[in-house]
Amino acid sequence: MAAALCRRFFSAVRVSGVLQAPPGACLSGLTLNLLHKNSTKVEPLYQCKFLHTTLSRKGLEEFFDDPKNWGETVVKSGDEWHAKHLRNKSNEDLHKLWYVLLKEKNMLLTLEQEAKRQSLPMPSPERLEKVEKSMGRINLVIKEREVALRLLQTGHENPRPGEWRNDFLGRTYWYNSKEWPIPWYLNKKYNRRKFFYLPHVKHFIRLRIEQHLKKQARMKSLEKKKQFLLQKKFPHLAAQSQN
Amino acid sequence: MASGKVLYPLYQLGNPQLRIFRPNFFMTLVRPGVPQPEDTVQFRISMQMTRVDVKNYLEKIYNVPVSVVRTRIQYGANNKRNHKNQRVKKPDYKVAYVQLGQGQTFQFPNLFPEKEETPEPGSIEDIQKQFMEKERQRQTADPRRGGVTDWFGL
Repeated sequence: MAAALCRRFFSAVRVSGVLQAPPGACLSGLTLNLLHKNSTKVEPLYQCKFLHTTLSRKGLEEFFDDPKNWGETVVKSGDEWHAKHLRNKSNEDLHKLWYVLLKEKNMLLTLEQEAKRQSLPMPSPERLEKVEKSMGRINLVIKEREVALRLLQTGHENPRPGEWRNDFLGRTYWYNSKEWPIPWYLNKKYNRRKFFYLPHVKHFIRLRIEQHLKKQARMKSLEKKKQFLLQKKFPHLAAQSQN
Repeated sequence: MASGKVLYPLYQLGNPQLRIFRPNFFMTLVRPGVPQPEDTVQFRISMQMTRVDVKNYLEKIYNVPVSVVRTRIQYGANNKRNHKNQRVKKPDYKVAYVQLGQGQTFQFPNLFPEKEETPEPGSIEDIQKQFMEKERQRQTADPRRGGVTDWFGL
């Protein structure tokens, strides 16, 4: 499975340098095909030959593992993709890797469901976790890149506009803006919301701050007490402080 | 697209088509509980997917010709109780029945065929197997007695 994954991915990566946008692997969005039945496809004019990058084009067979692995109790799989390795890959490569991992996850989910159906253990279930983690890391790397670009271009970190606001209880929170078809002053429900607090709430803000500080002090003293007890019980295991 | 709670940008007539990179939707091919026609494939999909999404997904990612998709939502039961007598809900899921195009047929394969394992000579499994066979031979009765147990007689 790992070999097939690697083969699929590296064949995709090898060709990415040659093409601008390979048609077979162009998966940049799922459009509503049904509405445009008579649309003509405009083929872009490229000088280089089109090469198909997918290894196997067997359709529904990709929902299942290599037939040699059917019936095995243990299927060997390689390491998962780590963030430091993914950061070295280009956006196109990450995009293609995402779909490779997506297909792999679909295959593992079908296998899991079939194993439950037959009341048999699924061979090597750790593969699912590996794939999920790798996909999460791809998202992380791409978010990092987006945040960096956005900071340079606009100076904002998050894509959704927002601001710090007070509610009617005096609490300060990050208010995330929402997209509306009407302006805010015509929004009846929004106008009923209060983003300010009346003077009598100031007393309760002080009480809340006091509560928070007391809780922090409690946690700190508990930690100190635990350290003291450990020191008393195991003096020989005390960490050597560098003097 | 992503399954679960995701905020999509507002759509108004005339807006460009929403493009999503790295869709978070997964499809599980399942063996049908009730016999289905030969060109029908049964999937379990995310609750946020529509039949149009399923068709595009299979055509673009798997290159499978799809003629028609029908979907239904399967309600997960809430009858079971845990040790605290609280009701435990089985999650709901959406089922898609996909009819393949171009006259293709699909039969769900047997993913757990029984394999004959020949243990290596010298391994633990081989020694165990040989021991069990010897024990079985020892415990069989004398064939000359014709099936009569050894409680009787001398």
